[in-house]
Amino acid sequence: MTTLNDRIFGVLMIVLAIAYGWGATQLPEPFGGSEAVGPETFPLLLAVVLGLSSLYMVVRPDPDNAWPWSRTGVELVIAVVVLVLYAMLLQPLGFIISTTLAVGTLCWRMGARPVKAFITGGVAGVVVFLLFNFALDLALPLGLLDFMEAN
Amino acid sequence: METLSFLMDGFAVALQPENLMFALLGAFLGTLIGALPGLGPANGVAILIPLAFTLGLRPETALIMLTAVYAGAMYGGRISSILLNIPGDEPAMMTCLDGYPMAKKGKAAEALAISAIASFMGSLIATIGLILLAPILARFALTFGPAEYFALFLLAFATLGGITGKNPMKTVVAAAIGLMIATVGIDNTGVQRFTFGTLELYEGVDFIIAIVGLFAISELLFFIEDKAGGGKEKMTVNKLKLSFSDIRGIMPSCFRGGVLGFIAGVLPGAGASLGSFIGYTLEKKVVGKKGYFGEGDPRGVAGPEAGNNGASSGALVPMLTLGVPGSGTTAVLLALLISMNITPGPLMFTQNADIVWGVIAALLIGNFLLLVLNIPLVGIFVKLLSVPPMYLLPIVTMVAFVGIYSISNTTFDLYFMVAFGVAGYIFRKLEIPLVPIILGLLLGPEMEKNLRHALDISDGDWTVLWESGLAIGLWVFAGLGLILPYIIGPILRRRMNSAVKEMPTSD
Repeated sequence: MTTLNDRIFGVLMIVLAIAYGWGATQLPEPFGGSEAVGPETFPLLLAVVLGLSSLYMVVRPDPDNAWPWSRTGVELVIAVVVLVLYAMLLQPLGFIISTTLAVGTLCWRMGARPVKAFITGGVAGVVVFLLFNFALDLALPLGLLDFMEAN
Repeated sequence: METLSFLMDGFAVALQPENLMFALLGAFLGTLIGALPGLGPANGVAILIPLAFTLGLRPETALIMLTAVYAGAMYGGRISSILLNIPGDEPAMMTCLDGYPMAKKGKAAEALAISAIASFMGSLIATIGLILLAPILARFALTFGPAEYFALFLLAFATLGGITGKNPMKTVVAAAIGLMIATVGIDNTGVQRFTFGTLELYEGVDFIIAIVGLFAISELLFFIEDKAGGGKEKMTVNKLKLSFSDIRGIMPSCFRGGVLGFIAGVLPGAGASLGSFIGYTLEKKVVGKKGYFGEGDPRGVAGPEAGNNGASSGALVPMLTLGVPGSGTTAVLLALLISMNITPGPLMFTQNADIVWGVIAALLIGNFLLLVLNIPLVGIFVKLLSVPPMYLLPIVTMVAFVGIYSISNTTFDLYFMVAFGVAGYIFRKLEIPLVPIILGLLLGPEMEKNLRHALDISDGDWTVLWESGLAIGLWVFAGLGLILPYIIGPILRRRMNSAVKEMPTSD
């Protein structure tokens, strides 16, 4: 059993606390002169609390949980990439197409058969789109399917 | 008497057709969320919050719907405990002990019905407790000054990990991170803090985005890693055969569990896990050798279920009266209040009396709805349990995307949400609790404001923070909240685990 996770995280958080605390001291003085509590007081307090509690994590770390380095790790990275792409393509491709792709890919990577996965994605996309645009009156982007609206 | 007339007004609010409809919708969705393994009440409420916004609901309607979701999720948790032997969350663990053996003996329908009745009784007792206790506590809280409030917030953080929490120091780390995120944006003297000149950050980090990211997205990532939940053999549900004397037989258990649960819920840091645990152990003590606990004793289902639901309603007491949530889900509900420009705390009882009492009345109505929904319709929920998570979780994620997107119609928020999801995954791996982060985000501005007021009054003298007896008391309790988990936590966890291990049918 190793205890590296907590140690590394603790060190990172100490660095963050220092950077954040330093950032707080650089804040401009508010208009009207200094008061008992300026914009930097509370952040400085937090920097101290985070610094000390992170130091405790470095000194007294808990045993590690294993990280999924192997294939599962790759799957996780794929999932995050899918989510980022989903956000990126939502407007240009439109809600229905991007949802079909995103939900389909996620279902498929989680073990569903590809055809079933993408059908699920498509159905979910269409149902939610119709629900939002007609029942709830909230416009989700149509994107590439814009031509359908013209008709 | 005054309370009673307020409550009547509350019923007038809650019984409006629109509110009633959303309570029913919330109760149904909540039960569904609770029943699905892997989606706890906090996640469920978090995912549905953006929906409440996009529907453009009035504050009381939104709050009524989400309170119903909350209550429903606590009801639903027992379904997967009984049928699959998978507790949806920690409090549902104790229900597995006798619920699953009952199902194995072909009494699944009875176990489900008993647990629904026990949940109802637990919630009912706790809601009555809430009605009696909340106004008193709110009146008391009106005497709080800024120093006391500052100490109260510290108490909330200190006890949030709960006495079953593992490493209290990690709660402190999490709280500090949350509070730090809360300082992003323009502070109330007009100074920009940590915005790095990014326009989107001027108004700070929207906690709805943080909540959905931390809970829902990280849940997806965790599922991918575990690949668990599928392929478990499901029980078939028999025809319900429950006589009046069966129901009478579990009533004392429901009563004891409900009262204990309510107390555990009100106490800061104790929460639903403790509620269901003591609900079960008390039953074992009271019934003694006459019981057959662990082999499908109905009282072993009723006690912890009443305790569990009693605690979750009890946790609303500090949330409504002090603005300090006692559990993860109530923290999420608090987020909803704040984002609707309602200041939680004692003043809410005078300034937004219609909302508070509307919600309390809705809780009562919600419980009746849930009881009605849960006994005849349990079959539907059981069917929905067979939807494989590999289809379900991507769809839940998509709903989270739609909800966040429709708040602002920009994709910037979506990237932020995914980033919070990845961070949430890492935090959970490191066993850093997520709820203090959320609470820090929520309470940060209020906490700083109170610190500012207190120090302005004292002209910068920090001792003002622990001058009054009340403030000292709060500081002491906060200190205890951090120390006790080191002492009681391991003992309690060991007992809960050994109770589970003793179970002969456990697999």
